Amino acid sequence: MKTGAQIKDAVLDLLRSRAPLAGNGALPDDLRLGAGGLGLDSIAMVELLLDCERRFGISATGLLEGPVITVGRLIAHVRDAVPQ
Amino acid sequence: MNWPRHTFDTLERGLAPLVARHPRMALPAASGLGALRNRLSHRWPSPEQIQTLFPQLAPRAAARVAWKIGALEARNRLLVEAIRRQGLEPVRRLMRPASEAFAALRPPLILGTFHVGAVQALGAAIERLPGPVLVLRLGALYSPSPPVEIVSTEGDDQRRALAFQRALAHLAGGGFVVLALDGSPGPGLRVPCLGRTLELARGPFALARLTGAPLVPLVARWRNSEVEAEVGAAIVGMEEGALAASAARWLEGYLMAAPEEIGLGLVRALLTPPLAAR
Repeated sequence: MKTGAQIKDAVLDLLRSRAPLAGNGALPDDLRLGAGGLGLDSIAMVELLLDCERRFGISATGLLEGPVITVGRLIAHVRDAVPQ
Repeated sequence: MNWPRHTFDTLERGLAPLVARHPRMALPAASGLGALRNRLSHRWPSPEQIQTLFPQLAPRAAARVAWKIGALEARNRLLVEAIRRQGLEPVRRLMRPASEAFAALRPPLILGTFHVGAVQALGAAIERLPGPVLVLRLGALYSPSPPVEIVSTEGDDQRRALAFQRALAHLAGGGFVVLALDGSPGPGLRVPCLGRTLELARGPFALARLTGAPLVPLVARWRNSEVEAEVGAAIVGMEEGALAASAARWLEGYLMAAPEEIGLGLVRALLTPPLAAR
């Protein structure tokens, strides 16, 4: 069982490992993962979602079919999918 | 020399309605027009461009290769027009029987194409694969029939990521994935080829790394008025750069043996340094 804060921190760790532009500072919720945001290319974006699937045992690649993925959307998706 | 470009365009357009019913007349006619166009214009490509890429060729041999590429381009333009008008049916009739190597292909497998030879005819070749086929490409010239499905890679990073994820799932489900190794949008890998630097799409090699599926080069070439598909040896590995370098070596060997198969787009890509290298 994880708290919402622990999930957020774990997702941010995964994000930082894939996105050199993320740095160590705070990341706004509305920051995009792709161009104009963290600059993840298509392959890195899929790998990040697969990282989340492995780390939390959830499905995450379905996010690609929805609206633009932002930091906040990714965290919210994982938080909603992981039992707390 | 002031050459009649519009005249050639008009003549080529005039051949389009003929290609489906009379391919053995229309295709050689297009080749003749394309070769003549190249001889008169000394462009697209020029003999000098060919000699830059194939310095072993004497000037006259380079000029002949340039004419043949002019012929190839005209023939391919005609084929594209036929596909736009009638789908793949005219192309199916042009396909030679599958080679043993092609018939032996089994999924899960990544088939990487290059813009050489009769690249637009590959749609008819991949219909013969023994399993579901997912094609990733920029837009679609025709509506495919099962077991072939086309996913467009047009759009932003997230759209391309969705296409990439579908390819991963397709391979995991035991299918074939077909996609271009050269001339694609998205992240790239720079590799040596014909003494120049060529940027290959990173996606196919990342697919191979993430799934462990082999990557096989696939091209099509004209044989008179027929088309045959040719496959290379499987490229296997876990490092994207090494996989890309192997694919470029295969392409280089293929083109050294048949320089007239190089597409004009590939000529331009090889002669134009990637942006960051300029």
